[in-house]
Amino acid sequence: MIIAVSGVNDTDNPGPGIGVARSLKEADSSIKTVGLSYDVQDPGNFMDFVIDKSYVLTYPSQGWEPIFNRLLYIKESYGLDAVIPTLDAELPSYIKYQDDLKEAGIKTFLPNLEQFELRSKENLGDISEALKISYPKTKKVFNIDQLKKAVNEIGFPCVVKGNYYKAYKVKSLPEAVYYFTEISNEWGFPILVQEIVNGDELNVIGAGDGKGNLLGLVAIKKMTTTHLGKIWNGVTIRHEKLLKVAEDFVAEYKWRGPFELECIVDEDNIILIEINPRFPAWVYFATGVGVNLPKRVLDVMFDKNSDMSGDYESGKMMVRYTYELITDIEKLSELATKGESNG
Amino acid sequence: MAKKTYEKPTIIKVESSHSKAGVPMPKQKIRKKIGGVAIDEMVERFGSPLFIFDEKAIREKYRSAYEAFSSRYPNVQFGWSYKTNYLKAVCAVFHQEGAIAEVVSEFEYEKARELGIEGKDIIYNGPYKPYDSLVTAAKEGAKIHIDTFDEINDLEKVADELGFEIPVAIRLNMDTGIYPQWSRFGFNIESGQAMDAVKRIKAGGKLRLTGLHAHIGTFMLDANAYKVETTKMVRLMNEVEEKVGFTIEYIDVGGGFASKNHLRGIYQPPEVVVPTIDDYAEAITSALYENIRGNSYPKLYLETGRHLIDEAGYLVTSVVASKTLPDSRRSYIVDAGVNLLYTYFWYKFNIELTREVSGISEPAMINGPLCMNIDVIDESILLPRLRRGDKLVISPVGAYNVTQWMQFIRYRPRVLMVTEEGNVELIREREELSDIEKREILPDKLKLK
Amino acid sequence: MRIENLAVNKNGFAFDPTSGETFTLNETAKEIIEDLARGVEEKEIAKKLSEEYDVTQEEAMNDVLDFKEKLKLYGLLS
Ligand SMILES: Cc1ncc(COP(=O)(O)O)c(C=O)c1O
Repeated sequence: MIIAVSGVNDTDNPGPGIGVARSLKEADSSIKTVGLSYDVQDPGNFMDFVIDKSYVLTYPSQGWEPIFNRLLYIKESYGLDAVIPTLDAELPSYIKYQDDLKEAGIKTFLPNLEQFELRSKENLGDISEALKISYPKTKKVFNIDQLKKAVNEIGFPCVVKGNYYKAYKVKSLPEAVYYFTEISNEWGFPILVQEIVNGDELNVIGAGDGKGNLLGLVAIKKMTTTHLGKIWNGVTIRHEKLLKVAEDFVAEYKWRGPFELECIVDEDNIILIEINPRFPAWVYFATGVGVNLPKRVLDVMFDKNSDMSGDYESGKMMVRYTYELITDIEKLSELATKGESNG
Repeated sequence: MAKKTYEKPTIIKVESSHSKAGVPMPKQKIRKKIGGVAIDEMVERFGSPLFIFDEKAIREKYRSAYEAFSSRYPNVQFGWSYKTNYLKAVCAVFHQEGAIAEVVSEFEYEKARELGIEGKDIIYNGPYKPYDSLVTAAKEGAKIHIDTFDEINDLEKVADELGFEIPVAIRLNMDTGIYPQWSRFGFNIESGQAMDAVKRIKAGGKLRLTGLHAHIGTFMLDANAYKVETTKMVRLMNEVEEKVGFTIEYIDVGGGFASKNHLRGIYQPPEVVVPTIDDYAEAITSALYENIRGNSYPKLYLETGRHLIDEAGYLVTSVVASKTLPDSRRSYIVDAGVNLLYTYFWYKFNIELTREVSGISEPAMINGPLCMNIDVIDESILLPRLRRGDKLVISPVGAYNVTQWMQFIRYRPRVLMVTEEGNVELIREREELSDIEKREILPDKLKLK
Repeated sequence: MRIENLAVNKNGFAFDPTSGETFTLNETAKEIIEDLARGVEEKEIAKKLSEEYDVTQEEAMNDVLDFKEKLKLYGLLS
């Protein structure tokens, strides 16, 4: 079986691709992995112990057709049974065109458009209500005047965030204006101003089968993070109410595919901050404690029975570390001139 | 011995800011034909640059839009938004398809009349309608959409002058959750201003309110805004009929549907973010059915512009020179500039070649021929090395360019239409000096010869 | 001048061992670099190109000059 994963940028701001590929290979060493890369320098392109063959793709902003054609080319020249996209920027295209992929014989396991829209911060208020949890005070703004009014009302510090991507904590109006401009230039409107809520940030990774059933859940606490907020060390936890929220989320919306919930938890008060409709970069953490979600998702794709148990132990740690790989420049030469690695 | 095909020398540094320069990807986009006719042949015959419209594409787009609405709500009428593109040939295609005219000035009004459109088939919009034009429009039975209280006064005077009651509509503005809110036009619903205007019209006794009109913005990526708009308009209609006693015959929801163009500042490609015509139609017609009371269904008017014409228009331009810039990027100078492409302010266009060019692609910038630093058609595009005379096909450019283009520094080029039958028609001749000089007067004492 | 050091492989990938820079280039570029490294005159290179490929000597000359400009910007030529 040949499975493609994107997000093979295993840098200090890692994509989830390597974690997904590693999970698949550990579950079934006969699986071949294809790395879908947007930059010849992506570390994943050189990690031949996880990624069997890499291809360079055009950016999703250039449209679906070149990506689709590239996947067809991969299928024809190397073989391709399924693709697991993991990057925010490419999900809208993959979700919109999942049927085209299916017709071409390339499987995916993704939410539908309606489910995908749930992640819009505009919808999180309603979801929180449905799941009986809280949502921080949030204002939608479209211009600097509205931004000023909103930050006055909410007070500093607060968070300035995009409807889908990016969030910055700001302590002053100039900072707020700076990030307002930065986010809106890249992602458009609306911009949201949100109150900062107290509590611990806890995260849940999970996947749903699209019928309301869970394929597994793991909750964690980030112990240390990089300056971008990416997990470095973390620990598994069993916060029953939080796990119940994730279970309810899957049941209520019949979520299909992987997801990550980011929550702020103050004892029993749970606040939903973000829904990521994909695997998080720390997906391998769950695999390591016995909940191999990429493999489970793959099993559902191919109608195979799989272990769907939710058991894992709390108090297991993930420690991320850096490691150096020494290789020949020949590999870069292949990627830079042919757009694909030897494999 | 036959010589080998020449590829211009290309070298590109592998660096992360241009991570794909040099990689034989993306595959260059090629368009050899428009409407079935070879672009190279058209350029050979008519010169470069050239605007080219595809008649078949226009008709197909119109028909699918009409179908999307009429299948859901049969009492529907499109009005072609002249400002979007008022080339006679383009307007005539829409009129042949059954669209009436939507104009926003006396100039556009005259243009529609000149083309053979009767007054009753003209929607007359806009914040400034000169008095004389109101007289003509009222006489000819046009649908006049009032924008201000001052215009109510003007029209009452016209009614006195003509000696009959004039049927009118009012333009509305409202909050549909969209920013910016186009609140400069018409009367605001939420503040009660719209209802005040209705009462004012009633009190005057010289005008009869028969329609409600709004246009909430352009390139609307959220179909739901139309649901909000239509709901508010129908509710106002219900209130007007109940409380004031006018019978509202039609609701005109305006234009604003997006085309498949790539808006700057939006990362995702148009095929992902632009709603389909069915999404828009569903939003509008479902709001009609949900809010109309009783069983009189007003006529639904649409003033769709951009969505219907943008993708049927192309600008073909030729490379006249190329150079290496100090930042090592390549600059191509082409024979069409931003004076012809007003919409470049908003769009990152689709740029295609008319032939396969082999070789590795390098980061390039496409500059027009104007002696102006802002004349940039694309700031960063990966292209294989082009030769002089190579053509670039820029699209979609059918909306708002051949109306907002400027005669600046250079003459405006020819415009062609490829007909459904595959014939090439010249629909606008290239400008020449006399076109521009005709309107100028040189005082005697300044004459040099 | 560093073009003599440039190691160009069969794929058109070049590595400059003195600076660590990497490049991709096409066949024409490779030929010109080889000629420049051997000290061939610009005019002579243009003539060779026009004999080998379907290009006029005039166009080839412009391309050689433009290409040298690019090499300078990349620090490969002084
Ligand atoms: C009153 C009115 N109707 C219709 C349109 C056409 O809009 P669009 O091209 O966005 O469909 C406009 C454009 O500004 C307008 O002002």
